[in-house]
Amino acid sequence: MVKEQAAGRVALLEDIWKSYGAVPVLKGVSLALEAGEVHALLGGNGAGKSSLMKIMSGVIPANSGRIEINGRALTHASPALAQDLGLYLVPQEAHILPNQTVLENICLGLRPSPRSLRPRVETLVAELAVAVDLDAQAASLEIAERQIVEILRGLVRDARVLILDEPTSALTPFETSALFERVRKLQGQGVGIFFISHKLREIREICSTISVLRDGVIVLSGPLDEYTDAEIVEAMSRVQLAADGGTAKAGRKVAQIGQPRLTVRGLSGEGFADIDLDVRAGEILGLAGVVGAGRTEFAETLFGLRKQSAGSVHLEGKELKSRSPRSCIDHGLVYLPEDRQQNGLFLEAPLYWNVSSYLIHRLPFFLRSGTERRIFDGFRDSMGIKCTGAGQSARGLSGGNQQKVLMAKCLSAGPKVLILDEPTRGVDVAARNDIYALIRTLAGKGVAIVLISSDFDEIEQLADRVQVMAFGRDGGQLSDAISVDAIARLAFGASEPNHA
Amino acid sequence: MKKLIFRWETALLAMLLAELAIFGLINPRFLNPANLIYGTSDFVQIGIVALPLTLVIIAGGIDVSFASAIGLAAIVFGVATFYAVPLPLSILLALATGALCGLFNATVIHLSKIQPLVVTLGSLYLFQGTATVASGLVGAGGYEGIGNFPEAFNGFGYAQLFGLPATLVVFLGLAFVLVVLLHFTRFGRVVFLVGQSESAARFAGIPVATVQTITYVVTGLCAAIAGLVMSAYFGSARVDLGAATLLPAVTAAVLGGASIYGGQGSILGTLIATFVIGYLQQGLQASGVSSQISSALSGGLLVIAVALRHGSALLADFVAVARQQKGRAAITSGGERK
Amino acid sequence: MLDLFARNRVVTLVLILTLAYAAIGAAAPGYLSGATLSTVLSSSLVLMLISLGTMVVILTRNIDVSSGSVLGLSAAVLGLLLNAGVGLPLAIVLCLLTGALAGAFNGLMVAYLGIPSIVATLGTLGLYRGIMLVMTGGRWIEDLPQDLKALSTNLGFGFSALTVVVVLLIVTLWLFLRKTRFGRFFYAVGDNKAAAHHLGVPVRRVQFAAFVAAGTCAALAGIVFAAQIGFIPNQAGNGIELKAIAVNVLGGVSLLGGTGSVAGVVAAVIFITSIDSALVFLKIPAYWNDFIAGALLLSVLLLDGRIRQLIERRIRARRYAIHDRAPVPDATSSTTRIAEASR
Repeated sequence: MVKEQAAGRVALLEDIWKSYGAVPVLKGVSLALEAGEVHALLGGNGAGKSSLMKIMSGVIPANSGRIEINGRALTHASPALAQDLGLYLVPQEAHILPNQTVLENICLGLRPSPRSLRPRVETLVAELAVAVDLDAQAASLEIAERQIVEILRGLVRDARVLILDEPTSALTPFETSALFERVRKLQGQGVGIFFISHKLREIREICSTISVLRDGVIVLSGPLDEYTDAEIVEAMSRVQLAADGGTAKAGRKVAQIGQPRLTVRGLSGEGFADIDLDVRAGEILGLAGVVGAGRTEFAETLFGLRKQSAGSVHLEGKELKSRSPRSCIDHGLVYLPEDRQQNGLFLEAPLYWNVSSYLIHRLPFFLRSGTERRIFDGFRDSMGIKCTGAGQSARGLSGGNQQKVLMAKCLSAGPKVLILDEPTRGVDVAARNDIYALIRTLAGKGVAIVLISSDFDEIEQLADRVQVMAFGRDGGQLSDAISVDAIARLAFGASEPNHA
Repeated sequence: MKKLIFRWETALLAMLLAELAIFGLINPRFLNPANLIYGTSDFVQIGIVALPLTLVIIAGGIDVSFASAIGLAAIVFGVATFYAVPLPLSILLALATGALCGLFNATVIHLSKIQPLVVTLGSLYLFQGTATVASGLVGAGGYEGIGNFPEAFNGFGYAQLFGLPATLVVFLGLAFVLVVLLHFTRFGRVVFLVGQSESAARFAGIPVATVQTITYVVTGLCAAIAGLVMSAYFGSARVDLGAATLLPAVTAAVLGGASIYGGQGSILGTLIATFVIGYLQQGLQASGVSSQISSALSGGLLVIAVALRHGSALLADFVAVARQQKGRAAITSGGERK
Repeated sequence: MLDLFARNRVVTLVLILTLAYAAIGAAAPGYLSGATLSTVLSSSLVLMLISLGTMVVILTRNIDVSSGSVLGLSAAVLGLLLNAGVGLPLAIVLCLLTGALAGAFNGLMVAYLGIPSIVATLGTLGLYRGIMLVMTGGRWIEDLPQDLKALSTNLGFGFSALTVVVVLLIVTLWLFLRKTRFGRFFYAVGDNKAAAHHLGVPVRRVQFAAFVAAGTCAALAGIVFAAQIGFIPNQAGNGIELKAIAVNVLGGVSLLGGTGSVAGVVAAVIFITSIDSALVFLKIPAYWNDFIAGALLLSVLLLDGRIRQLIERRIRARRYAIHDRAPVPDATSSTTRIAEASR
């Protein structure tokens, strides 16, 4: 590891407290960052990571505590001040001004005009060895390119502290390794980096120190080499991962898998082409792949939300020709959307409205709220949804409980085939185990399940059979010997020599 | 379900009673029941368009063109009677015109995917222009109006039903139908769902465009009803009949609890808000304030009411934080920190 | 080609305007004259000022529908002061101050209290008109002094002192929005508020400033109105706010914020005013005005919306085409992608 002349402390946080309304998220957090250090920051959902980062970068104020950047205090919450002191936050989703050029996007907020900054930006672009057209409209940028814009924003501001908030979550493996190259370069230049991630493999590759946040408190901190993966995971969750995964699957396998339910042949559409797929009653089919492999587009086309350009879909032998979400629901083909907040839930509506929204067209014209509430209460009891009542709004629930409500919404429609798109994203460990158990129970009752997930551990644990999509195409199948490694080989397959 | 006392409608009702009490103190004759009941004829047309406008707003849209759809429907009725079309057919023509106005708005909005405010702003001019042109065709000139309606029609403006003015009965009847439609039927539920999240509604197979179209058509239809009611009341159809309803009707919907961002609102709230606004104007006039000023002041009321609603949300947040900090202090003294 | 018309509203407007002028000129040869130019110029001033003020607000993704009442209110302040014997310069300053204050109140509610701008300004639309009526007692203000009216006399080529002021304002606003750091903030706030905040843009101050600017412009429009008409009726400025929003939309300012140019708004104002004057010249009855304006606005909107959808669909198709094409991404792929997307 290269440590250069600029060694020394570049950021210091002391005893940071923060709460939203009545909910405390940070309870006295202290952290330090040296020049040239890449410091991993881990934590489950709701552990307070993103609040901590927002406070450090001046986006929101802390209730109390002290922040020092490059030896100078961040006296009040102001992104401009934090940036002046030399700290820049590269957010998980790049903040892009779609109607401005890339150069304007990079230089916004700086005193010199974009035109006079151009040579400097060009030098930085060359140093990072990235290809960016500074005069392009920012709206046309891809996700990885947007992230480069964010990193350039930090560099052009002479940042000595960079915070990378889950920078690889939307990147392909290639883009990820390119990003790591850049991070090492910055490290060589003495920049201190907070690296927020939940992927241990990546953390091992790039970070030197680690801190784990749980429930607003730092529960583990120190050089990365001193901790094993198991210790880190345990510190993060403190809940033992359910060990029954494999056995439950093995137990029911062969006996219960029945007739073919869904048969897809040669389906093509936006972002994917020529996909075949079969699922049988009682089977859990894992549909694996990396972000951008076209799985969500495939599922949305199947569910009638997007136009298909070729191919056929049969449900129990009957062809579903012109599909709309409603006709799919009526035939028993039900989709659980990937983006829970945007597409899945009506956040301000009472929970029982949410649960009945997939079958609203089957209810009598004059609604009886008693019936709907009973439907909801049934699911609440069987799934253990924690809420104050059927009339509570969905926004107030935790991620895990929101996801259970969404599952209840899908189940209320009586699915024969259930497509679950990332059903455990942003869900805590306990709720995740509940959802796994629920998926197995459903399969046990004969529902055919297509499980779309980027989490290969999840697929390994649950799926009876795996189909992989890569770059919008069929990436191969696995029916026995399902393992994370085997899935990953197929999903990242393009770079593997043995991929046909 | 929220407790009755915390509901916005309750606060509005209290506001209405306080308002009546204050004006009663200033001018006791104001509280004369006949006065209160017949006074409604001056503002029911606001309510008749504000009620369906509430539907549009809840479903995530907005419509400002109803103000000139009122005039257009009235002029169509006037032109039809001018050419001696039978009365029932003339009324039907006016209603169809209103419905078509709504359909036109919805179609343009869905074809262009441009914000409803901009589109209906354009049709505000278009409908008004069409009405002016149409009235020009029968030689009524710009704003003179078309009169000479059959007695049966003019009589409606002053008729009584169940001891109430017929116009008030129309308003209350409409309110009843819409309360049932919005709060107790599948259609009303879908209106709320579409307004809360268009994309989630689409994923749930709800026909978003159809639902929104219906809300615009209903608004056009009600604008036509308002146009007819006003024509009967004034005895003539004019292009600018509805111009004065634009601001108060939007005010009534927003004051009644409709969120400009969609997904929230209530017919009952709009109903009460209509009376709050209507009696405010009349009360001010009864207290000796000129009618121009009193109608202008209803805008001020809107600001205060909405600011209060926002203010109370901020206050609730603040209280929660304060309570939280107290709780934290307790933890601290409990020794969790060094 | 499509992209040119979609991106560059000024070109489209100038093209249509030239065609329209040519057609009218052919039909009625007397129309294309200096007199027409001077009429169009002077009768466009009030709408120009209101539209420019509204544009600044719309850039920040808010809306101001109170400007017509601000015009009336500040014109009333001007008229009452002048008739009370206050000197013209002081009266003008106080009039502008009134507009700025009215705008500041709007800005306070929207930027600092978080009230949706359409609701807040709908409220003040009524409130400011009410204050105006209380001040004038509901009477028209007449017999304005001669030195005010002198401001609008023709100095040659249809230019009056007021025209000069408005042209200067147009140039200043153009320079400010294009060239200055603070000017670019208006676009940034409207384009993506969260991003602007993240990059240290004082979002609230920018929104507040936009409303103050709109109020000041409306007050200036009030001065022009009073000078040109010579008296101040109760309904001065009534309904002009809607016309100004329509002009902005026509001029290519997106109500979603972040895009639009001074040139587009100026072109749209001249366009609308020319149509009015052409109708007068062609002796088409005045009652066709609203119809034509409405039909025109809606057709432009519809066309614009369709073109935009077409372009979006193309971009989308191109994006997905990349996935189909490239099973093996390599180091150069992101270059080609950007190059393709920007083409």
